[in-house]
Amino acid sequence: MTIEEIFARRRFVFLDGGLGTQLQKRGLQPGQKPELAAFLMPDTLEAIHREYAAAGADILYANTFGANEQKLAGTGYTAEQTIAASIACARRAADPYGALVALDIGPLGELLAPTGTLSFEDACARFAAIVQAGVKAGADLIVIETMTDLYELKAAVLAAKENSTLPVLASMSFESRGRTFTGCTVESFGITAAGLGVDAVGINCSLGPAEILPFAKRLCRVVPAGMPVFVKPNAGLPNPDGSYDMDAEEFAREMGEYLSTGISTVGGCCGTTPDYIRALRSAFEGAVPAQKIPLRRSRLCTPVRCVEVEGITVVGERINPTGKKRLQQALREGDSGYACAQAVAQAEAGAQVLDVNAGLPGIDEAATLEMLVRELQAVTDLPLQLDSNDPTALERALRIYNGKPIVNSVNGEEKSLRAILPLCKKYGAAVVGLCLDENGIPKTAEGRFEVARKIVAATDAAGIPREDVYIDCLTLTVSAEQDSAAETLKAMGMCKRELGVRTVLGVSNISFGLPCRGYMNTTFLTLAMQAGLDLAIINPNTPEMMAAVRAFRVLTGQDERCADYVQAYADQQIQTVQTAKTAAAETTVSGAEDPLADAVRRGLKKEARAAAEQALLTREPLDLVNQSLIPALDTVGDGFEKGTLFLPQLLQAATAAQAAFDVIKTAIAQSGQKSVSRGKIVLATVKGDIHDIGKNIVRVVLENYGYEVTDLGRDVDPMRVVQAAKETGAPLVGLSALMTTTVPSMQTTIEELRKAGLPCKVMVGGAVLTPSFAEQIGADFYAKDAKASADYAKQLFESL
Amino acid sequence: MELAYHAADRRTVLRYLGAAGWTPDEATTSLLDEAEALLRRAATPRGIWRVLPLQALDLSGAGSDLARHLQGSEGLVLMAVTLGSGADALIRRLELSDIALGAAVDAIASAAMDGLCDDVEAAARAWAQSQGMWLTGRFSPGYGDCPLTLQHDLCLALDTVRGLGLAVTPQHFLTPRKSVTAILGTADHPVTGTRAGCNHCLLRETCAYRKRGMTCDD
Repeated sequence: MTIEEIFARRRFVFLDGGLGTQLQKRGLQPGQKPELAAFLMPDTLEAIHREYAAAGADILYANTFGANEQKLAGTGYTAEQTIAASIACARRAADPYGALVALDIGPLGELLAPTGTLSFEDACARFAAIVQAGVKAGADLIVIETMTDLYELKAAVLAAKENSTLPVLASMSFESRGRTFTGCTVESFGITAAGLGVDAVGINCSLGPAEILPFAKRLCRVVPAGMPVFVKPNAGLPNPDGSYDMDAEEFAREMGEYLSTGISTVGGCCGTTPDYIRALRSAFEGAVPAQKIPLRRSRLCTPVRCVEVEGITVVGERINPTGKKRLQQALREGDSGYACAQAVAQAEAGAQVLDVNAGLPGIDEAATLEMLVRELQAVTDLPLQLDSNDPTALERALRIYNGKPIVNSVNGEEKSLRAILPLCKKYGAAVVGLCLDENGIPKTAEGRFEVARKIVAATDAAGIPREDVYIDCLTLTVSAEQDSAAETLKAMGMCKRELGVRTVLGVSNISFGLPCRGYMNTTFLTLAMQAGLDLAIINPNTPEMMAAVRAFRVLTGQDERCADYVQAYADQQIQTVQTAKTAAAETTVSGAEDPLADAVRRGLKKEARAAAEQALLTREPLDLVNQSLIPALDTVGDGFEKGTLFLPQLLQAATAAQAAFDVIKTAIAQSGQKSVSRGKIVLATVKGDIHDIGKNIVRVVLENYGYEVTDLGRDVDPMRVVQAAKETGAPLVGLSALMTTTVPSMQTTIEELRKAGLPCKVMVGGAVLTPSFAEQIGADFYAKDAKASADYAKQLFESL
Repeated sequence: MELAYHAADRRTVLRYLGAAGWTPDEATTSLLDEAEALLRRAATPRGIWRVLPLQALDLSGAGSDLARHLQGSEGLVLMAVTLGSGADALIRRLELSDIALGAAVDAIASAAMDGLCDDVEAAARAWAQSQGMWLTGRFSPGYGDCPLTLQHDLCLALDTVRGLGLAVTPQHFLTPRKSVTAILGTADHPVTGTRAGCNHCLLRETCAYRKRGMTCDD
């Protein structure tokens, strides 16, 4: 067996069976680490490998599944020693049979952020150490298996590709619902792994042959025709005591179903033994793997959502600072919260992909784009369109993106193509190509088509499939160049017909400089959809744009039985833009003297927003804050303190105030006035702590009182707090820790702040703290709840 | 094993929200209803339990309360449950868009853990009964003087990463956040175990419940 034969798919390739379950059966004691078998029971380990090779396994997985520094800590063995010994052991068994030895890499045993605390780059580094040890020990190939988190799989694949030239096989474990524990779909796994350039993809563990079968078929449909797909199922489903009931014959019989699916490599996982592999080998002997028939589709994904770009697909355009003062301000302050809230709102309005742009003069675009991608993918499951033409920014964002994104964009210039296409290829991204080059934007459809042709030649050469290329024939402002709209639509048709690519347009640019832009945008969008537009970059919060999209889907048969259309509009009556505003304001018929204050006191979010909108027609923004919002919050806060109101009511009032504040801040940003700020405060949940809710409650309350809060999030390194305190000059830093185990981080953070000589005060809070404990670790103030922190802030800022 | 989602006990939810004994107003009731519906869709409750010999877990540094709990036991049942990473993701999203709803989901998720633990324990008890064995009650790391550091060995012995996607952080937190592990003793004669009281608790000086004159068992 050679590596080349494995990937030739001329015959079935056989993997080995369960190793851990065999070690247990042959004497590994509970409490003993299976990773150490090469030292504890080398003869037994070698015998198991040998029996698998003798049974006909072409590839033996070395006993390195959990061989990482963290799991081996305290055993007296390093990962490198363990990997070397384990691979040598498998090698001794493999050689007489001509079998290959794989470095087997399993999950690290810690969850990556945002669910856990392990950073993506730390995960990459841990995997890199394993890969380097495996290469040094002479592994023939690398197997990444039993993964349940797509992000961890990506870290392992990057580490394998960046630290070796060995072939990489990658497999994940799915539950019976067709998702991993973290919700990753079969399709998201297939397209992401294939995009990252692994040599084969598969499914292992967790389920038996019958349960995995439908998922294996789905996997075959989404990966390229030439890519081998493998399965390594368990011997059925386990009993509570960890044993398995399915015998070798039954296993081989159930595996027979795979002969015609297109998979080309088979083996077994937990509960299977050399007998199972022998039975498998005889059942598959002489058979030739069936041809896989992949469905070539344009796909983008996050772990939990795979978007097939079939028919018009909406890309939300709101996370782009150009012309958006509030977002500009937020990005300058390093605050991702506003962008994240925009993401959630666009998703609710019907966006299927989100454009993310961090291009703003005076900020570090690369760092900001990376930060936005990290924070956005923690709160939205929509795929992202990474919008930049800076290769450094794109690479940093592509690296940490979890899934398959789209890069926006390259253009016809050599420089752009050469710098960005290799990145798209390495990280498996789709790409937008703009029909312009060093000579500018061609006037005619033919001219733009020529640029598109040049771009497609380059994507072909880079190995990016046509279904992953989206050509932007460019929307020009119709008030300046009236003929160009027709040229854009014509060029789109040519690209789709003759190049077999997808198309994309930023729609809103058409109406620049004209009144009632919505009319123009909607009409142009409709024409473009009719001309075959695939990705429409629009503001999904504009009702008439989404209405045009939904109506188009009905009229072209994409929305079967009008189901989505009816669902979206069953309860609505058509309103013109002007009357909609009046109607929103009318919902505030509370009859109260100050409807805004009343809505906040009663914790009514919608009503508070509407009341603020109406009040802004006659009152100054600052007056709203000082005369309505803050007095209402004070009333609620007093009630809470006295025990007549409870936390849920305080929080609902805070949420209502936040909704009103949002309207007020937008009005202030639009008017160009200085923002409402009673002073700056830095907040963080300390290093190692991921319990964030207390700090988030404090943030909302402080923001409602008009403080400018820089929220550093959770699991925050002490030095980042120091840096933020320095940069903002904030006179107050608030730290939160929930557990006794993270209070030391809080103390370290306070010490670092003092060491840096910063004059700021530090307030602390969290379940395990007390006033004396707070004093002991050097804090200035212990805040027992959000109300107390607001009171302290007020007192402090008034004394400055 | 996949577990059914149980509606959380509302009194417990209100207690977690710092409003023990309060009869919620209409707005809060509808807030909790909405939160429960969202969590039900986002959660993927899973459980796992294993029967293991006593030596499967090194209890030398695990304190005297667990030792007392396991007195007379001849073996162990280890168990773990989780609401899954979808619940964490939901809470993260809501903390941004609606903090009241986020806090409600957080409290409901914590309260829902009890029912999940009961289900897994019931499965273990049914097995024990069929074997003519008895089980003690559940004891989790963090009770009494039992340190959270035990989570690492416990999760390794249960293989929770592979079994239900549950892992421990270097600071000994379980992730996904809404997860619980527990230890039960097995014996061929009736055993009940002893839950640790406040006097032995590591959090005695700092406990948020004790500050309010309550205990975490109230």
